[in-house]
Amino acid sequence: MAPWLANGLIYASALALTAGGITLLYITTRTFNFAHASMATVGFYVVYSFIIFIGGSPYRYFPFAFLFGALLGVICYYGLNRPLLKRQASEITLMMSTLGYDLILLSLIQMYCDFLTSNYKLFPRRVNMNMYDLELFGINAATIILPLMAIICLSALHLFLGKTKFGVAMKATIENPVLAGASGINSDRVYMVAWLIGGGMASLGGAAMAMAQTGTPVMGMNSIPFMFAGAILGGLHSLYGGILGGFMVGLAEYAGVFLLSQKFGPWILGYRMGIPLLLMAITLLIFPRGLAGIPWADLFGRLTGKKRGVQA
Amino acid sequence: MLTVRNLNSGYGKLQILYNLDLEVPAKGITVVVGPNGAGKTTLLSSIMGTANVFSGEVLFEDEPITGQQTHLLARKGISYVPQMGNVFAELSVMDNLHMAGYLMSKSEARLKAEQMTEMFPVLKKFIHRKAGTLSGGERRMLAVAMGLMKNPKLMLLDELSTDLAPIIAEKVLLEVIRLRDELGITILIVEQMAKRALEIGDTAYLLVSGGVKYAGKASELLHEPELCNLYLGIKQLPKQQDNTRIPSSEGRG
Amino acid sequence: MSDDKQIVSRLKGFLLRREVIITAVIVALLTFLLITRGVPMILTIFIDFAIFAIVTLSLNLEVGYTGISQFGRVLAVMAGAFGAGAIPGRVMAAIMGLPWGASYAEATVNFKLVPQLTAVLEKSWFLSIVFLIFCLLVAALCGAGIGWLTSRPAIRLKEAYLGISLLAFGDLLMWIGHNWEPLVGATTSVYIPDPFRFVPGNRFQVVVITVFVIAFLIYFFINTLTHSPFGRTLKMVRDNEISAAAAGKDVVKIRTRSLMIGSAIAAIGGALYVIYTGAATAIGFTRLTWTFWPWAFMMLGGIGSNLGVLLGVFLLTILRSMITIFRFQVFGFLIQWGIDPTWLEFTLMGAVIIVVVLFLPHGLVPEKVEPVLPADRVQKVITNMSSRGRFLT
Repeated sequence: MAPWLANGLIYASALALTAGGITLLYITTRTFNFAHASMATVGFYVVYSFIIFIGGSPYRYFPFAFLFGALLGVICYYGLNRPLLKRQASEITLMMSTLGYDLILLSLIQMYCDFLTSNYKLFPRRVNMNMYDLELFGINAATIILPLMAIICLSALHLFLGKTKFGVAMKATIENPVLAGASGINSDRVYMVAWLIGGGMASLGGAAMAMAQTGTPVMGMNSIPFMFAGAILGGLHSLYGGILGGFMVGLAEYAGVFLLSQKFGPWILGYRMGIPLLLMAITLLIFPRGLAGIPWADLFGRLTGKKRGVQA
Repeated sequence: MLTVRNLNSGYGKLQILYNLDLEVPAKGITVVVGPNGAGKTTLLSSIMGTANVFSGEVLFEDEPITGQQTHLLARKGISYVPQMGNVFAELSVMDNLHMAGYLMSKSEARLKAEQMTEMFPVLKKFIHRKAGTLSGGERRMLAVAMGLMKNPKLMLLDELSTDLAPIIAEKVLLEVIRLRDELGITILIVEQMAKRALEIGDTAYLLVSGGVKYAGKASELLHEPELCNLYLGIKQLPKQQDNTRIPSSEGRG
Repeated sequence: MSDDKQIVSRLKGFLLRREVIITAVIVALLTFLLITRGVPMILTIFIDFAIFAIVTLSLNLEVGYTGISQFGRVLAVMAGAFGAGAIPGRVMAAIMGLPWGASYAEATVNFKLVPQLTAVLEKSWFLSIVFLIFCLLVAALCGAGIGWLTSRPAIRLKEAYLGISLLAFGDLLMWIGHNWEPLVGATTSVYIPDPFRFVPGNRFQVVVITVFVIAFLIYFFINTLTHSPFGRTLKMVRDNEISAAAAGKDVVKIRTRSLMIGSAIAAIGGALYVIYTGAATAIGFTRLTWTFWPWAFMMLGGIGSNLGVLLGVFLLTILRSMITIFRFQVFGFLIQWGIDPTWLEFTLMGAVIIVVVLFLPHGLVPEKVEPVLPADRVQKVITNMSSRGRFLT
């Protein structure tokens, strides 16, 4: 497999997880979570620390990354998000509050890196996680395992939302909080679970991302525009749209850089972040509501000659 | 059963209800009528805790429930069928019914859902369709079915007959009477079809500009020609009406 | 007697106003730092304050008065910095017959070229001032251009979409500056001819005074602007776009104008920053420093209140530098673990944002609700109308 495709798949899976988390938090609590940046970085450092202190393959520690991220998400919900939601704060206020949380997490990550550097003589500021990776069928295991992991996680999420009672209740709350409340669904618990899943997905995504890039304390901070771009591309109103958007943004970046640098030369590498942003800008210009705003039913209806909404 | 005392409420900073008093007697149908913008829906929202209550209190079975979270009220046995957004459009009809029975056990909910589909056969036909694809009337029926799923003690019904064809509206209102008589459910109904609602109601409140303009027996409100004409658009007067009470300015015929 | 009491109570009321208390705190902290650390420290704080005050005031114009979710402040700041770094020096080089094309920004050329330009400026105070004004004008034009560009999506997109898009494009512009050498030298910096060399003595003091004066001029400009009918129109658009449009206001035009003015001012801030440091480096313009920190300053001061923003910037700038100053005395325990206490700056900013959001939603000096007409005149209008029988109730 071409190296760009291998890394692109890992990166795209990571962005699918993080963008999915951002979308989930937005559709439940109206919050654009800036803290996704540092939550992702935390996920990477959880895995890194386990490898350093215990050893073994990185994949064993991914569940811990998820748990840690979930914990950070729940803390954010109870400490910050819940009081603001009760006050019916504006979207911008909710967004700013998570920025504050992100800055605090970022400073803690930086301090932790300092701590590792001076006490254990490690170099946690530039980590190449690939060197801890296994080999599978002659290629890096991450290329196979991580996309598979993303697919399994997202299918699990899909089953949870579609088949379990609480999952359906979550979908109901997202669509109509008042009616859900009147049916006896505790929206408080729904939001808490959304933060738990969203935070966990962020950290899992961060841990995966570090397998494709150099892990640094500002890894999440640098890639947050792409996480947002993925969520926006997906239209922000559908969880699956966000996941798809994240995956497309990630793959487009690697594919675009590969194709363009073959044509124009390696200088294009410096502008790689322009590709996903351009994709986002073009989508927003044509469909201000993202991928989910594209009238798919109309399009297909026209193709098949059926009218929209007609029941078979 | 439900008492509203001196309620001042609204949305955000906007006050809509002023010093409102209301009493819903148990096992009866209480009808709230009034022109558009009188605050009928706001009254229900205030009871359900989704509007901002500035002062006053709401008692349910002599227990204060003012400003409580909506899901706790559902646990107490209050069921609410909103006017708009009263079904989960993205969920199937079956899931809608199961969500309405969220507080029940699974087997109980299944049994109850079966009863509902028997009561409204049209739902059975579309049981696996998304609720968003139903027609207005079918949706309304699903909403009522969802309200009944919970075995409520008190049902709040907002604009029950809108979107419904007159025959079905009639059927639904008869259903409401049956609920009272057979299941002994207390019902608070906000209605646009004022005349019909007042005919089936026991107690009636006329809401105008956020205050109570009339409180008393429902049948008697129908015999207040001035109020009926001015606020409810009921022109034809009931047959037993004493002719002397017709104001000369009415000028009908 | 009663006069005395009135004066006392009025004085009490004045002293208990939040602005006054905060100013007193700021003055106390400054005096303390002046005594313990001396003048240079104070000057550093002053210049940080002045530059961030300019940027934050411009942000407040767009966010606080117009209601645009501007999460791309760094765009305009960078436009000003790049403009001031790339254009005026080139113009001068071209006039003097020196290389001014793409090679101007090459590290090896630029390194030798700029001292020559500075030497020319050093000789003439007139030329220096013209150069400085030219820099600021170029920056303002670049900023206004960026403002116009950002106003295009601002018409189409809603709150959060717009904020995120602007944030992403701020990053993109930084990476363009970081990679495209002819602009500001890519990974190396472009030096800027120094217009402050002609003054004998301490350059630093002159820079501080100049920037400070410009900051206060901008404060007065923005304050006048926001208290003019235009400012009231901005608030009208912010509070209710539809009713503003219904009242005959061209909402698109007003938002565009606000974005252009705000961005031009922010660009002046960026230009002053690169002139003060003497070099423009693309990688230095992160969204953290030039978007998020101004947001934190503004939220602490009070969104929609110019004076509040000014005090917020001052207070936080002092606190930030105090962390750096006292890192060994106060945070020694961190150093023992091998941790650099400067990271606490991030913690401080984060904590400030959270505390403001949770406990001080309107900031230190909340925006004053100003009626369009004074209350007594409104009363008069009402009595007039009711006497004519227009109001029946």
